[in-house]
Amino acid sequence: MSRRTSEITNGIAKIYLALVLLFLYVPIFTMAAMAFNRSPLYELPFQFDLIWFESLMSNDRLLRAGSNSLIIAVINTVIATVLGTAASLAFARYQFRGRTLMQLLLLPPITIPWLVIGTAMLVFFFWIANVPAVAETCRAILPAAYCAPRSKITILLGHVALSLPYVIIVVSARLADFPKSVEEAAATLGATPWQTFWRVSMPIIAPGMVAAALFAFATSFDQFVISYFLAPPGVTTLPVEIYTAIRKAFTPEINAISTIIIVVSMGIMLITARFYKFGGER
Amino acid sequence: MTKIWSNRRQFLAGATALGVGTAILGAPRVARAAGEVKVLNWQGYGTDFQAGVDAFQKKTGLSVVHDYYTSEPEMMTKLRTNPGGYDVVLTNCVWNNLASKEGLVQPIDTSKISHWNDLNPAFRDSERLNQDGKVYGVAWVWGTTGIAFNEDVYKPAPDTLAKLWDPALKKKVALRDDAVEVVSFGAIMTGQDMNHPTDLEKVKAKILELKDNVNYLWASEDDWHKQFAAKAFDISTMWGGAAIRAKTGFKLPVGFYIPKEGGIGWFDGLAVAKDAPNPDGAHAFINWMVDPEFYTAWETKEGAPASANPKAMEALPDSDPTKVAASDGDAVKRLQFMAPLSDDERQRYSDLWAEVRTAFAK
Amino acid sequence: MSPRQRQIWSIFSLTGPAYLWLAVTIFLPLSAMLYCSLLDTSPLVPRPAHFTLANYAAFFQKSFYLPLTWWSLQLGFWTTLFCFLIGYPAAYALAKKIKGRWREALFLLIVLPFWSNALVRIFSWTMVLRPNGLIDAALHWILPEAPHIDILFSYPAVVIGLVHSYLPYMILTCYISLQAIDDSLMEAARSLGAEAWTVFRRVVLPLSLPGVVSGAVLIFVPVIGSFMEPRILGGPRAVTLGMNIEEQFTVTSNWPLGAALSFTMLGIVILFFLVLYPVLKKRGAFA
Repeated sequence: MSRRTSEITNGIAKIYLALVLLFLYVPIFTMAAMAFNRSPLYELPFQFDLIWFESLMSNDRLLRAGSNSLIIAVINTVIATVLGTAASLAFARYQFRGRTLMQLLLLPPITIPWLVIGTAMLVFFFWIANVPAVAETCRAILPAAYCAPRSKITILLGHVALSLPYVIIVVSARLADFPKSVEEAAATLGATPWQTFWRVSMPIIAPGMVAAALFAFATSFDQFVISYFLAPPGVTTLPVEIYTAIRKAFTPEINAISTIIIVVSMGIMLITARFYKFGGER
Repeated sequence: MTKIWSNRRQFLAGATALGVGTAILGAPRVARAAGEVKVLNWQGYGTDFQAGVDAFQKKTGLSVVHDYYTSEPEMMTKLRTNPGGYDVVLTNCVWNNLASKEGLVQPIDTSKISHWNDLNPAFRDSERLNQDGKVYGVAWVWGTTGIAFNEDVYKPAPDTLAKLWDPALKKKVALRDDAVEVVSFGAIMTGQDMNHPTDLEKVKAKILELKDNVNYLWASEDDWHKQFAAKAFDISTMWGGAAIRAKTGFKLPVGFYIPKEGGIGWFDGLAVAKDAPNPDGAHAFINWMVDPEFYTAWETKEGAPASANPKAMEALPDSDPTKVAASDGDAVKRLQFMAPLSDDERQRYSDLWAEVRTAFAK
Repeated sequence: MSPRQRQIWSIFSLTGPAYLWLAVTIFLPLSAMLYCSLLDTSPLVPRPAHFTLANYAAFFQKSFYLPLTWWSLQLGFWTTLFCFLIGYPAAYALAKKIKGRWREALFLLIVLPFWSNALVRIFSWTMVLRPNGLIDAALHWILPEAPHIDILFSYPAVVIGLVHSYLPYMILTCYISLQAIDDSLMEAARSLGAEAWTVFRRVVLPLSLPGVVSGAVLIFVPVIGSFMEPRILGGPRAVTLGMNIEEQFTVTSNWPLGAALSFTMLGIVILFFLVLYPVLKKRGAFA
């Protein structure tokens, strides 16, 4: 390919990407714009005002919900990524009976509506928390209130369970192209399995793990149904607040907090991208 | 050489996460046994009105803790799966009988309700809140579902249900996405009993005629407001109190009427859950909810349905729109009040609505 | 330990934690739900329950379930197709044409909209698509005489909303597959005389198939059970199986029916998967 053609295709590629990003961000911009609009009903013409940010600062309930969401999402991401990557490694490396069945079992959590799963979880956890053996073992390890059928722990249990299939599917896709010969070569050169994984395998599958982690975070952070069913009274997460508030009228304070979260996340992400290269040189 | 690294790594990661998590999530609040009233209700529906809760705490020393539901079946599930979890539950005229028949709520000790004799007997003694001579719900508030319309568009104001079927109103009508409500209005239009229509085929045919007119199906007060302001529709079924709030609170040009053919009425009763941990506190809270002092504060500050306590209504200023609407005796006479439905009926109405929605989407 | 035993131990320790977690939190509760779908009364109601297949039969007996399911499948198909048509080129551009720090930054920017709340995001779409909304206003600014755009509350609006919600899945999964393809492979093919299109068809596409397939799965499956976008963007003109299942829990308290419908939907998905699996496996979509 001549250099000129190469430049043209590069240019087209960049424009196309810009258009796709524009499409992805149209509702985000609209949402952010409405955070600065005076009308509580998203009416135009646009009137700039910071009232929603001001009232957000005094809305303890919403702020607490936001921080709950963040904390749970972070913990969820760590657990789900670790557990999911391990499972993906097993699927990629070994052929064993039951492998296809185990892969098929990833379909129910993403097929069955979360409402059904949430209801099932609620009733199941309620039943199991009252089984004496389970209750006693739990109380021996954790404070009593965490052993209730609805608690922050059960919310986390639910979130990780819903994130796991995404992590496994995404990392597996990356592992499908994985050159096993590289691992074998490292082993031949005397590396321990731990070293092989940490220094050879992980850098190669890193983009898959990062994508999976980002999905896990999104799944948890925006998870309404499970959080709603399994939250004890007094504990809310951001999606639950938003959803239950629409019964009456939710004010653009919600746009304000969503905008803040997006802006802060963007900042963190761009700083991370600046200092940490996780995509490999290619 | 065994691959224990995978085990160790995961264990470390898991333990760290759990440890950090427990530390960050913080010590859970231990439920205070005495000095607390646990309420189960819709969010933002009076019992959690902050000024009212604060006043209650001042008077009685009891704090109020809320749990919410977003649908009545959910309320029933919560009652069934949480014995001893609630003191006060909101049950409306449809669900109170079902809850008491199943033993989820206990009889009210009316001697503990000082305002008992003030309550409007039409609601207080209704068979929908009483059973076998016992009271299972204290009549609290009542409201209507009728037609709300854009005052700037429809001059003079219409007054019939049939208006929705006007062929000139293509894509201008909104309905609530609720099977029971749709069947009720269809029954009214075909001259049948609103709660138990016998000829469902006729109801279905009538609703199907609306296909070209319906542009929006609303599910909550909030999205009704937003789409009304965006002019997605001009006329729709709507709750009376909400229409008033849209006008006074959001300054939208909303008019409201109970149609000539009839409108839907409903009323709410506050019940005490079986195994309530604090039944005395529950009664005290319910008594406060029907107190004129609480009601006037709630209505003037936030906006409320009409109170079942006529003394509370009298205490409002004469210009109060809810008071004005509630005093319209003719309109009130046109109401049919919602009644409990059997599971079978509910399923049939839901299926009817599903068939209609499928036809709408074709 | 013998190598075989080591392997078994490896498999257990790698998959064990994840699947134990899934078993306790999802598979066990869902088994209870499966059992519930074979009863004629909701589990918590104090009425004696009997075994019945009526809930599964309802799928074929009631007139609306088959059209509903067909529409839901169509929605899944269109959404997945558009996500692929839009997302794959974007992933290719990102993986092959952008170099350096920008690539990471864009990768992250593509995921970011995911982190906004779905309800607020979908609602923002109503503001963009409605008459006098963003698109309509922009159109009139350029062409004042144009008729009003009225896409809101229609099937296309639902597809737009769904494609927007699920596009990042496709872009990212394709990206991680494409990015793994060694440029030298492509150069080698070209030096052997292949044209750009052949290189793409014979080298790039097959190697990126795992990414495409996992993206398709992560999009198609949730979309057929979706109810938020259809409800908010489709208004009266969109109704899906997911919405009807929701009704069985929030209106009729008919958990057995809701559960039966969910498992029927799962059955359809598994059927799809089993039919396509051999085909895709042959083409190297799985390890």
